[in-house]
Amino acid sequence: MMMTDAYSSCHPAVAFTFFAGTICCSVVIQHPAYLIAGCLAAAAYDLLLKGRKALKNLFLLLPFALLLAAVNPLFNTAGERILFYVSGRPYTLEALLYGAALAGIFLSMMLWFSCFNVVMSSDKIACLFGNLIPSLSLLLTMVFRMVPGLTGKTQQVICARRSIGKGSCKADGYRARLDDGMTVLSAMTSWALEGSIVTADSMRSRGYGTAKRSSFMIYRMSSRDRILLAVQIVLLLLVILSAAQGQTAAAFTPELSAAPVSWGIAAYSAYLMIPVLLHLKEALQWHISRLKI
Amino acid sequence: MKKSSIGMLIVFFLLIPLTLFLGTKLRGRSYYITSTLIILELMVPFFLAFEGRRPQARQLVVIAVLCAIAIVSRLAIPIPHFKPIFAIIMISGIAFGPEAGFMVGAVSAFGSNFFISQGPYTPWQMMAYGAGGMLAGFLAQKRLLPKKPLVLAVFGFLASLLWVGPLLDCSSVFLSLSKISLSGALAIFASGFPTNLSQGLSTFLTMLLFSKPLLEKLDRIKLKYGMTEADNGL
Repeated sequence: MMMTDAYSSCHPAVAFTFFAGTICCSVVIQHPAYLIAGCLAAAAYDLLLKGRKALKNLFLLLPFALLLAAVNPLFNTAGERILFYVSGRPYTLEALLYGAALAGIFLSMMLWFSCFNVVMSSDKIACLFGNLIPSLSLLLTMVFRMVPGLTGKTQQVICARRSIGKGSCKADGYRARLDDGMTVLSAMTSWALEGSIVTADSMRSRGYGTAKRSSFMIYRMSSRDRILLAVQIVLLLLVILSAAQGQTAAAFTPELSAAPVSWGIAAYSAYLMIPVLLHLKEALQWHISRLKI
Repeated sequence: MKKSSIGMLIVFFLLIPLTLFLGTKLRGRSYYITSTLIILELMVPFFLAFEGRRPQARQLVVIAVLCAIAIVSRLAIPIPHFKPIFAIIMISGIAFGPEAGFMVGAVSAFGSNFFISQGPYTPWQMMAYGAGGMLAGFLAQKRLLPKKPLVLAVFGFLASLLWVGPLLDCSSVFLSLSKISLSGALAIFASGFPTNLSQGLSTFLTMLLFSKPLLEKLDRIKLKYGMTEADNGL
């Protein structure tokens, strides 16, 4: 099995544009056909990225989504087709369907963010915004470097304390464990703060702040990336055009209505399927080239 | 006029009204996207001010360390919704002022989500955590918040329960209600109450036990390396 995702190897700007567009569209559009397309594409990409873990994630999310759909009519009583009454308030079909649409929005959002977490790693974010907000992205980079360092050092401190008989274990009770935890945290803080001053002085003696900082760029815009970006923007513009024409219009309460399905949904689906299609294309090419050996 | 104040004026008098106007024109669900865009726009002046000040290496690294400690405190405690992160953000605000408090809050929310999971709540979390640090910093700067562990603990509890928690719950209000109504919003705030209570208790405990040593350490760093607030406004 191929381990890397083709879309993840693209320039971060390509993936960032895709996710920004996708997330904005999937949170605004409540037309059922668009929602279903969004959920399916998100689930497919999540499955390709994470495999079995994605299924687990999906099974955790589904009950939440169903609950969201079922609860909505309790707060929104508009609609004509009354299913039953809950403590005197009508529980309507329209509100239930509206709840289902909200559940679809919720589900696709969570799934897209699950993909976002895999594709947009922290170094890509820092690379994208390094020139725009240099101090902030340097701050973020330093934080990402310090977190594993702090965790490792914490383990060292805990081990060292234990070996001189100072640590606490489960049998010691909450009070002792809390005190122990606070001592470790306190030691960590001192160590990290003193270290930070050394780092800062070292940065200054190497000329930090004397000139514009250049940033290390591992990603280069290739011709493939440019084509992908152009295709994405064109498809996104088509989706916006279709929305402006009213193709994405849908209302649930007080009355059910949805615009007829037209070319807009095709553009939207094509847009959403870009990462999946790219992934499948690369997988197929890989498979074929292996067959040739 | 400073660049950051121009940025703030543009955000408040141009960007936010424009977003609200376009939000009403949007076909489909506009609650979540409009509210989240406004939250992001509200954070822009803070970030611009931070960039505009061209932070010195020492300020930058100290803020980074505080963020890293906050993130580790969120990741390391295995009990759900019982994280000392709010307390650490608030203590940072108390020691280094409201702006640093906001930065530590916002950056540690964004950063820790890379280890847990980014979600539609990320901008709200950045704003809420940042607002917590800012409130603590502001009150401390105006000398309204005595640096006594018990006072800070009670403050931390109330701030988590009534300020940071409800701000976080707002993202669910805008994302999951079909019609924004008072009863629906109240229901969401009520369902978030146990979580906020547990976070508040964690903040209370951390503040009670940890605020004194941490504040002492931060003050010592400030004194030892001459990083007073008046000098460089960290």
